[in-house]
Amino acid sequence: MSHIDLSPFVDAVRERAELLPRYAERQKVFGWFCTYTPIELIHAAGFLPVRIYGGATPIKLANTLVPDFVCPYMRTSLERALRGEYKYLSGVIQGYTCDVPCGIINIWEENAGPGLFHSVPLPYNTTESAKSFYRETLTELTQKLAAYGGNIDADSLQRSLDLYREIRTCLLHLHELRFQNRLALSASGFYTVAEAGFSLPPDVYLKYLQSLTSALGNKEPRKTAGIPVIVSGSLLEDTTVFDLIESAGGRVAADDLCNGYRFCCPADGTGSDPMERLIDRYMRRFPCPARSVIGDRVIRIKELIERSGAAGVIFVFQKFCTPHLADYPALADELKKDGIPVLQVETDETISNRGQLKTRFEAFFEMIGV
Amino acid sequence: MEKTQKSTKRLATAKELRQIVADFYLEGHQAKQAGKPIGWMPPMNGLIEIFYAMDLMPAFPENWSPVCAAFGLNDKNFQTAEEMGFSRDLCGYMRNNVGYIYGMMGTAGVPLGGLPEPDMVFLPGGGCVPTMKNFQYIARRFPEAKVFKADLPQVPIENIQRYHIDYAISEINRIIAFLTEVTGRKLDYDRLKEAVRLSDQACALWDEIMAYRRYKPTPLSAAEIGLMFVMVTRQGTQIAVDYLTRVRDEVRERAEREIGVIADEKIRLYWDNIPLWYNLGLFNYFERFGGVVVAETYSAAWSIRLDVDKPIEALAMKSLMSYPMVSCVSMKRRKEMVLRACRDYSIDGAILHSNKSCLPITLGQMDIERALQEELGISSVIIEADHMDPRNFSIAQFEERVNPFMEMLLARTS
Repeated sequence: MSHIDLSPFVDAVRERAELLPRYAERQKVFGWFCTYTPIELIHAAGFLPVRIYGGATPIKLANTLVPDFVCPYMRTSLERALRGEYKYLSGVIQGYTCDVPCGIINIWEENAGPGLFHSVPLPYNTTESAKSFYRETLTELTQKLAAYGGNIDADSLQRSLDLYREIRTCLLHLHELRFQNRLALSASGFYTVAEAGFSLPPDVYLKYLQSLTSALGNKEPRKTAGIPVIVSGSLLEDTTVFDLIESAGGRVAADDLCNGYRFCCPADGTGSDPMERLIDRYMRRFPCPARSVIGDRVIRIKELIERSGAAGVIFVFQKFCTPHLADYPALADELKKDGIPVLQVETDETISNRGQLKTRFEAFFEMIGV
Repeated sequence: MEKTQKSTKRLATAKELRQIVADFYLEGHQAKQAGKPIGWMPPMNGLIEIFYAMDLMPAFPENWSPVCAAFGLNDKNFQTAEEMGFSRDLCGYMRNNVGYIYGMMGTAGVPLGGLPEPDMVFLPGGGCVPTMKNFQYIARRFPEAKVFKADLPQVPIENIQRYHIDYAISEINRIIAFLTEVTGRKLDYDRLKEAVRLSDQACALWDEIMAYRRYKPTPLSAAEIGLMFVMVTRQGTQIAVDYLTRVRDEVRERAEREIGVIADEKIRLYWDNIPLWYNLGLFNYFERFGGVVVAETYSAAWSIRLDVDKPIEALAMKSLMSYPMVSCVSMKRRKEMVLRACRDYSIDGAILHSNKSCLPITLGQMDIERALQEELGISSVIIEADHMDPRNFSIAQFEERVNPFMEMLLARTS
């Protein structure tokens, strides 16, 4: 389908294991797991924030430290850390959302430290006192980054906020095109574009994104066949699932994923100073089940259905993912009440059940099609 | 050994516990009938003292789960939850509670009458994700109940700073304002001080009771862990203080008279993680080898002293510390705590329960195992089980791991 040149993104993803240690020679690189991590602050300190990649890999070392009922993303990330693949990181900074990353970050520090290992406590409410508390947590992170040589001031934070706003705006534009079925990219192409942004320096990534948006703008919009669906879950690093959905007769019209819409919505916040702008964005962000009540997510997912014209929702969960598994019964119930078909599947990091997934996707689309 | 089995208790005061449990649930139902507002809340925070000080009735769904396990209701509740779409990989407390409120709740024949319906539900923003979700489902099930979304910083104990405490205090003040508005009752600060004093006294007694377990032979084993019921449900009341005083007296007497849990104590064991509530008899299993579980992680959650002169701040600190102390939030502190306990209680071996139903407590266990071995020379065995769901527990596998471990410890100690 795609005649658009995605090679900068594909290369960035493919070569990240070689590129990132080189970046780390020039500036400190900090890892993060969750989109609640205030990456703008890390960047404003003069550091490069990169999302920890788990990916498909055999698990040996991590099995000696965590049980097998931990989600694949956390297990493979820890495995790579223990193997020394993340030695170039100066630490891991995490927005405290799910219980498991909080535990893993501590195990990582204990077994593959040292460095700055820090979970940022997050407010559950949006009251004024919650905002003040959040500001304090970010001030504490600022101080911790300063101890690593980071130098954050209002100007540097403003610049980082502007940069990430541009990135998120470009990504949201792609999401918008996809809602309208006017995006000339396959789903796996789309998520490769997103994935590249998690490891490239943001200024480089923005240039790539701007070129891509411009190239897409010059193309005649073309409708893609397939039943439009939303894919909901946490993180889907392997694009196989998207290929399977498309080959089964579906079209990913929108998502509710950490490596998708949840990362970029909203693009920015507002406030009288840069810190307030940052706080505003993160407090209004598209919610994850670990930090929201189920009813709020029902509203957001229904809005996505409305905007994208999705005919169903496919929940793709990582095995043992408590926040998503816990929300599922209520979400499914609410969607079914509105006549929206839902399907739930679980995967591991290697998508070892791809044959089974394909059959289930085909049956689902056949059912919707009828 | 049976898959579900009650423990054999040695304390005379343990027999009183059945009545204390029954009284708590009866009081809840009487309160409901009398129109006294009932609030459902998670345990291990400062809400309970505020509730008792305002003459409101607290209820603890998480505590109801062990009661369900003891009465064998968990299987039916799991079935209901699974029919609703809840994965078996989710926490057993959550699945049991959701299954209960959408299933047998309100039906005839539920032991103790079950939980009284809530007038208020507290949605926690701290603690573990399953607890957060559990209360969200409770709020959905009881739409008439007033809902309070309560925030709490998730922060390792060693990192607690003034601003965390101030935020926790501001949340407690918000809760008090909410309770005042919903119930029309005003908080009498003298009564709150009294509740905090009683709570602190209960903690002091708890510590004292636990300290007697250092004696050889130990007068109290984990088979009596049900004592914890008063710490969960009756903190801030004279009931807890009176009961724990009687327990303390009995334990002290047994310690002074060198009356052990078993006649010939040979091995002193540590238990990490939540007990198997459907099989507390497991704690007696070790006795055939001369083994007694003399200390455990879970009991440390009730060892937090409160500053009576600053009642609100004391409750804020309690709320901030309880969960991190026993979970992976504060892994360093937890490891230190386990090592200290193993030293203080002269532990010979540790049983690490890898708990399918509770990752926050299970994560970090292997680091603890290593530290026990390297720093104290204490061997451990990991058993795979689940604190609520017997389907995730195999007696055969348990025996296969534990028997040689106990034989090895026996050989070492003799």
